[in-house]
Amino acid sequence: MELIIPNTTEMWVNVAAFVVLFIVMWKVAFPPMTKMLDERAEKIRDSIEKAEETRVEAERLLEEYRQQMADARTEAAKIIEQGRTVAENMKAEILAKAREEAEAEKTRTLEAIRAEKAAAMAELQTSVADLSVAVAGKIIGEKLDPAEHHALIERYIAEVGSLNEK
Amino acid sequence: MSAPVVPAAEASPMGEKIAELLHELSVRPFSENAAFSLTNYTFWLIIAVLLLLVFMVVASRKAKLVPSGIGNLAEAGVELVRNSICVDIIGPEGKKYFPFIGTIFFFVLFNNLLGNIPPALPGTGTVGTTFTWAIIVFLVYNGIGIKKVGFGHYIKSFVPAGTPMWLAPLIFVIEVISHLLRPFTLGIRLFANMYAGHIMLGVFAVFVAMSIEHFSAVGALVVPLSFLMQVVLRVFELFVAVLQAYIFSILTAVYINGALHTGEH
Repeated sequence: MELIIPNTTEMWVNVAAFVVLFIVMWKVAFPPMTKMLDERAEKIRDSIEKAEETRVEAERLLEEYRQQMADARTEAAKIIEQGRTVAENMKAEILAKAREEAEAEKTRTLEAIRAEKAAAMAELQTSVADLSVAVAGKIIGEKLDPAEHHALIERYIAEVGSLNEK
Repeated sequence: MSAPVVPAAEASPMGEKIAELLHELSVRPFSENAAFSLTNYTFWLIIAVLLLLVFMVVASRKAKLVPSGIGNLAEAGVELVRNSICVDIIGPEGKKYFPFIGTIFFFVLFNNLLGNIPPALPGTGTVGTTFTWAIIVFLVYNGIGIKKVGFGHYIKSFVPAGTPMWLAPLIFVIEVISHLLRPFTLGIRLFANMYAGHIMLGVFAVFVAMSIEHFSAVGALVVPLSFLMQVVLRVFELFVAVLQAYIFSILTAVYINGALHTGEH
């Protein structure tokens, strides 16, 4: 029982200890520490908020860049497609023009050839007719009337010529 | 105060040693020729308080946003009491009571811990200390309750609303007794833990000493085992030192919270 009966000297020492400790802790020791703890909590909260803001901003930027990239890609594809279309159109145009020109050239050339041929034929006909009349005259003698026979030979040559032309 | 008398054991040398141990742990003057008679416990209590003052003042001077060293250690304690005890139990207004509860926490902690360093005794190992602090807690928490709602309301709140009239006096008496028992249980708990811890340590120390003095085959076994127990108990006592400081502070917070919210339960 003696154990749980407090000694009065001890009690007064403790009262004094409490008073001194409480005043020192309350007024001197604790305020800077609690103030700093609050500041730190505030700072950590701020940092977290700032980090969150930064994260959101970064995500927004990333999304923006992604969008821009996609836009750019679409744009590039469009430009390439346009280029291809233009090139193809040009190619078709050039080809058509070339073909047309070639065709025209060919036609012109054929025309010239044909004209030349016709001229040559006409000349040849005349020459052959004259020659034939002369030859025939020589063979048959002077009996052959040149004008009469000339017409005959002409017809004959025309017949041969038409055979030749086929 | 004289050594406790242990008649039955006095005959054996072991009994003598145990009686000596109990005498060592009993409250007695620190020095016979001191002008002001400090007891053995209060001597160490004053040392603990001085160490605590130096520690806290130095730590508070070193308080900075990125903590280090001694500041870090003190801060861990401050944060524990402020957040895990004051705010968690009382709520946001609990910060107001932190200086009081924090003083109690660090006082009990330092005394408990110092008591673990031989030859120091824990200042909290005597009822002179624990009852005084428990009575301070009792006065403070009731003071807080009375200041908040007034004496009349505070007393009336001992009887919950809706209690039948015939039961009210009984409830009131029970409630008053339960309040009056609080400083007693608060004081005894801390004292008993610290005192019992030192008796346990002392008993195993006696075993070691006795086994060496009166060497025998059994003693050869007892010495290492008792020594091992000493080590284990020392560690356990460190744990108890922190735990009891925590419990004393948490109960203080619970009592203050109860006084602040009278009639709500």
